[in-house]
Amino acid sequence: MKLRRRVSGAALAACCVFGVPLAAHIVHAADLPPLSHSLTLQAPKPAPPLKLKDLDGRTHDLARLRGRVVLINFWATWCPPCRREMPSMERLSQALEGEAFVALAVNVGEDADTIGAFTSQLDTAPTFPILLDTRSLTLQAWKVAGLPTTFLVDSQGRIVASAIGGREFDHPEIVKAIRELLGK
Amino acid sequence: MRVLTLSLLAMWSAAASARTDTSVDAETGLATWQTETRGIQVRLTQISPDQARAFYLARGFSAQAAERYASQCVFMTVVRNIGDAPIQHRLADWRYLSAGQPPRAIRSKAAWERLWKQQGVPEAARIAFTWAQFPATQTFAPGDWNQGMTAYSVPRGGRFDLHFVWRAGAKIHSGKLEQLRCADETS
Repeated sequence: MKLRRRVSGAALAACCVFGVPLAAHIVHAADLPPLSHSLTLQAPKPAPPLKLKDLDGRTHDLARLRGRVVLINFWATWCPPCRREMPSMERLSQALEGEAFVALAVNVGEDADTIGAFTSQLDTAPTFPILLDTRSLTLQAWKVAGLPTTFLVDSQGRIVASAIGGREFDHPEIVKAIRELLGK
Repeated sequence: MRVLTLSLLAMWSAAASARTDTSVDAETGLATWQTETRGIQVRLTQISPDQARAFYLARGFSAQAAERYASQCVFMTVVRNIGDAPIQHRLADWRYLSAGQPPRAIRSKAAWERLWKQQGVPEAARIAFTWAQFPATQTFAPGDWNQGMTAYSVPRGGRFDLHFVWRAGAKIHSGKLEQLRCADETS
């Protein structure tokens, strides 16, 4: 058995359990499980319904987003990879601004105050809608097994790709996959 | 079903023993164990009782309910597909072995849910609990991974081996993390 003494293990555990407040001063990013940059393409299938309110009480309905490519990310503030990938989702959103693309972040089981406390810590506050799945019913309808999970829905309302676990959403491979769906 | 059970029994006893890497946080003393074998990476990091208590108290658990979970031996668990084919995971297939005990399964999320309902844990807290645990089942495409808590009935400071099982195509595979150690109360 190889023993490598380095600052990592417990720092990771602390991060995993508590998120940023405890982790910020002790976690070394290199020791965290790395974010991936792959999307798993799948045979197109109709997306389940998704109709939820955002932090401001406005209702968002996936059915009304036909004609656009939609990235749907299921997350929670206490989920470490969810927290880590969110800035890249904002960068992706900004990179595709003005195109037929929408990012939606569906939070599981938390309230607006809790979410706001997290997003206010980010260097750039998310400009995409954060939706509230308070009782995790949408999560179940989409057959999500773990957080974070992300789906890519094409302009016809079909799931065409998924990603389980944290991603670097503005990675060129992911941007390329989305641009191909956008027909560019 | 009988064939599957026999297959799993054979898997648990013949779990491949790949190299286990261990790292220890110099600041807190909490440890991580990680192994990679045949397209899968499994990583467990100790969670201290204080961390477990604090996490669930902050999510609406009563002190009694939080203590019930923190009295377990809790690990942050990461499984990643590092191969080039999809793998299927089922936590119910995993077994842990500690001295003087027969192989045991990890308590399921459904079993915890029943307990929390009996103890009157609020729905929002139960939802957070459910999603904070490692998934019961999952299909990991190449590059996919999940992170979540797993809990073991092993005393503070006690050691155990963890036999994990996964499927790739029609084949069942298994691996082992050896001599995992529960965090101390004071970690």
